[in-house]
Amino acid sequence: MSTTATHAHDDDHNHAPKGISRWLNSTNHKDIGTMYLVFSVVAALVGGGLSLLIRIELGEPGIQVFDVIGEMMGSEAKQFYNVTVTAHALLMVFFVVMPALIGGFGNWFVPMMIGAPDMAFPRMNNISFWLMPPALILLILSGVMGQGAGTGWTLYPPLSGLAGQPDMSVDFAILSLHLAGASSILGATNFITTILNMRAPGMTMHKAPLFVWATLITAVLLLLAMPVLAGALTMLLTDRNFGTAFFDPRGGGDPLLWQHLFWFFGHPEVYIMILPAFGIVSHIVSTFSRKPVFGYLGMAYAMASIGIVGFVVWAHHMYTVGMGVNYRAYFVAVTMAIAVPTGIKIFSWIATMWGGSISFKTPMMWAIGFIFLFTVGGVTGVVLANAGMDIAMHDTYYVVAHFHYVLSLGAIFAIFAGFYYWFDKMTGKVYPEWAGQLHFWTTFIGVNVLFFPQHFLGLAGMPRRYIDYPDIFAEWNMVSTWGAYLTMTSTVFFLIVTLIVMIAGRKSVANPWGDGATTLEWTVASPAPFHTFEDTPDFTGGNPAAHPAE
Amino acid sequence: MTRISAFFTGWVLTLVSASSAWAQEMPTPSFPVPWQLNLQTPASPVAERLVEFHNFLLVICTVISVIVLALLIWCAIRYNAKANPVPSKNTHNTLLEIVWTAIPVIVLVIIAVPSYRLLYYMDRVEDPGLTIKVIGNQWYWTYEFPDDDISFDSLPLPDDEIDIAAGQHRLLEVDTPLILPTDTDIRILFTATDVLHAWTIPAFGVKLDNVPGRTNETWTRITIPGKYYGQCSELCGIDHSYMPIVVHAVSPEEFEAWRADQLAANDNTPDDANRLAALIQE
Amino acid sequence: MSSGTDFSRRNRRTATTAFVVVAGMVGLTFAFVPLYTLICQVTGLGGTPQVAERNETDVSTQEITVRFDANVDRSLPWDFAPNEASVTINLGAEYLTSYRSTNLSDEAVTGISTFNVTPLKAAQYFTKIECFCFTEQTLEPGQSVDMPVTFYIDPAILEDELANEVQTITLSYTFYRTLDDIPDEEPEIISEADQVITTAQVGSF
Ligand code: HEM
Ligand SMILES: [Cu+2]
Ligand SMILES: [Cu+2]
Repeated sequence: MSTTATHAHDDDHNHAPKGISRWLNSTNHKDIGTMYLVFSVVAALVGGGLSLLIRIELGEPGIQVFDVIGEMMGSEAKQFYNVTVTAHALLMVFFVVMPALIGGFGNWFVPMMIGAPDMAFPRMNNISFWLMPPALILLILSGVMGQGAGTGWTLYPPLSGLAGQPDMSVDFAILSLHLAGASSILGATNFITTILNMRAPGMTMHKAPLFVWATLITAVLLLLAMPVLAGALTMLLTDRNFGTAFFDPRGGGDPLLWQHLFWFFGHPEVYIMILPAFGIVSHIVSTFSRKPVFGYLGMAYAMASIGIVGFVVWAHHMYTVGMGVNYRAYFVAVTMAIAVPTGIKIFSWIATMWGGSISFKTPMMWAIGFIFLFTVGGVTGVVLANAGMDIAMHDTYYVVAHFHYVLSLGAIFAIFAGFYYWFDKMTGKVYPEWAGQLHFWTTFIGVNVLFFPQHFLGLAGMPRRYIDYPDIFAEWNMVSTWGAYLTMTSTVFFLIVTLIVMIAGRKSVANPWGDGATTLEWTVASPAPFHTFEDTPDFTGGNPAAHPAE
Repeated sequence: MTRISAFFTGWVLTLVSASSAWAQEMPTPSFPVPWQLNLQTPASPVAERLVEFHNFLLVICTVISVIVLALLIWCAIRYNAKANPVPSKNTHNTLLEIVWTAIPVIVLVIIAVPSYRLLYYMDRVEDPGLTIKVIGNQWYWTYEFPDDDISFDSLPLPDDEIDIAAGQHRLLEVDTPLILPTDTDIRILFTATDVLHAWTIPAFGVKLDNVPGRTNETWTRITIPGKYYGQCSELCGIDHSYMPIVVHAVSPEEFEAWRADQLAANDNTPDDANRLAALIQE
Repeated sequence: MSSGTDFSRRNRRTATTAFVVVAGMVGLTFAFVPLYTLICQVTGLGGTPQVAERNETDVSTQEITVRFDANVDRSLPWDFAPNEASVTINLGAEYLTSYRSTNLSDEAVTGISTFNVTPLKAAQYFTKIECFCFTEQTLEPGQSVDMPVTFYIDPAILEDELANEVQTITLSYTFYRTLDDIPDEEPEIISEADQVITTAQVGSF
């Protein structure tokens, strides 16, 4: 990908080390970013494959494929379905979305955008990444050991305790999440340090690009939320193995304590997945509208307030556990409050486009798709926020539809948007526009056909995490599965084209997007050189990446 | 051993009287239709309010989504590079920013008022005359009428015992349904013996977790007689998809008759044989 | 790396702060465990009743019904049931009731109970003075124990606009076998003739 030569990696020449050790011992933020992206694609293939299995299974009533697979895996069909659902969710959350947005794009572009030579702690960066493959292996083991961990990604005890899952599978899942969590914590520390201390001269926080803001806030959320998950997982582990009783009434514990701890982590976690997406979308909308972001400060502070409020809303996932009405009333209020800064973001993106001179290139299409679909996911979030209403929706496919609109059609759309936006910068190649557009439209249609009917199923009463359903739900499930086939086809197309382009693509230029692209990464060659900047950029006299007004 | 056999007689009696007299074909007022789009037909005051509130929310959701979509489309038409070659430089408009903060706040307040009214309505009931207890087990339900010492398990019917021609539904039928009176406030207590479960009847607007080691409570009042279905709504292990819930709502008079039957059957059962036998079965 | 020592010292300081935050959050997570119990006790979260040394409220003319509910976990070879199904008392009046546990097995078994009251919002007003909750109880084979609960309902419930409609409160116990007493094999169930009834040693909280 990068230039030649064999020097050690820590000198100031623009030379990359060669061979396997370039990657194993890498301390270069771009190489590590690349590894994160590749890792995320690998995990996405596994996680996506599992989701396809789920959709094939649910395509018609009865049991289609899991009896065969279950037998192959030496597990019971129904248990293996639960394992699949669990592994799919954990993969997508911890091994696809987070590594792509934070580890991948974050590593690649945060140092570049602030004019830093690299991350603050390059070696720690290397450790962050290399914790992930073993974590992935442990997660896969958790699916194939014994019965497999079929607890759902929420790991609620007592089902995740010894009584529910006596063999080692859940322990493997716990250890996997411990490693992934440690990786995230190290990564977050690195980002915080880098962003706070290593910005180019003259780049105050109020001049920092929004993706940098987003990553900073995300890193802070990680720092505060991940240890809670780690603590809770440790309690679960010792409950399972060392006779403690944090969640076990037989020793004075309470299974609901887990839910409080898990969601205290879990709700910030959903924002950890979406804030970097917000950052990416802001840049893309601005670039292709050839206008600066509308209400920059409002955008930054909206993200910050979403991050803060995100810590006090957790029990909106627990409206049906049996919680006093006044507690539920409180959680309704704060949860709905989050919709306000979210609305500010949506309107600011539209206002950025307003008056612009918009070109609808592939990245922009994904960003616009994101804005609309995230809005749809947001309004169903507001529906779910009402504790009374949620009685009808909780643990049905309505919730499944909601979080796929904000994640699959939100975070994943942003990942594709970022991928197309920065493809030239990362590979030095031009992605054929027609292929990107085709990929966008087929995916857009596919995921909507896939997920929109799930609102109907949920409203009609179909519960989530079911391997089989009453025949009355057959129609919409069939439609949903068609959507999955279309989405899968589109994804395979994308993978093939991407491989071809990486090998045989046309060479790109430093800035393929024109004068709308005003962040520092566009001032250096494509692909970005191994050592990004010849001279440290200086912001004291204004943005050096800005293009003179015409 | 005598206790055990006595227990079984009692249990079988309960079973037989329940299923023979009450499990005939019944109307299903709230069953979804093919291509169902919205909530099931409500059959309780809470469910009626849920449907009403959801329809209201649906309007708001649709309006917001359509406005965003329309603005995006308008930008695409009016501000594409051809139509508008020179971009404006506006990046601030304080008034606009205040407006799009204030309007969502107002919309949320408009939602919050009926939302809270519903929430507190669901929480408040004049003293119900009938109490039932729903116990979740891996993977079946146990129902108790604690005031009458009536208790029975409700086990799912496997696919090959489902009579579709007789209006039965795969994955939804049980051997012994729960019989409840209409037009009666009913207190429902929830608990579980192993892992979490959640007992729900969508048509009643009832869903609450069955948590081992603790009791939860809600209430309902069934307005339409008929047969109602629900399915376990908290992941509980391998057979989570296979522990349906069936309620037969009958008139209070029919319910009294059923209850009398049960009590008569109970008299043939030694006192705590039930619990004992359960233990031995373990 | 552009590495003035100043720069890397500042970085190290930031990272150290971050790690302190992480350690603090882990600490807080574990600290939350006792805190959670405390929150439940103080606020009645999850239907946790209040506890008091003695009853200092005035007896009201208003009556309320308390139902007694009992559950036994499968691992515990006990019979456990309230000695009365329900009682109607005056608000503010102290009442003594009891549950009976009988060890049906041929070995000594230790049980432990959890408890809560519903509706959850009534927990703030349900005050226990004496009970066996959470206290481990060991029963010899065939032994029966009456376990007393003394409680009263705070008349302040009448002033709570959100809870004053409550006319029936359910007090529910679930007995488990303690973690330390998990059996190696299933115990034998003994006959009724071998059961002996004693009255409880009352536990403290
Ligand atoms: C307007 C903002 C949002 C609101 C008001 C909201 C509200 C809610 C509520 C109340 C639930 C619980 C529903 C239930 O289980 O009954 C929920 C579930 C969920 N939400 Fe959101 N949400 C919002 C945005 C997001 C975002 C941005 C994400 C992630 C990118 C997200 C991801 C999820 C996930 C993953 C779940 C399901 C978790 C599970 O049960 O497995 N939500 N949301
Ligand atoms: Cu949440
Ligand atoms: Cu279940």
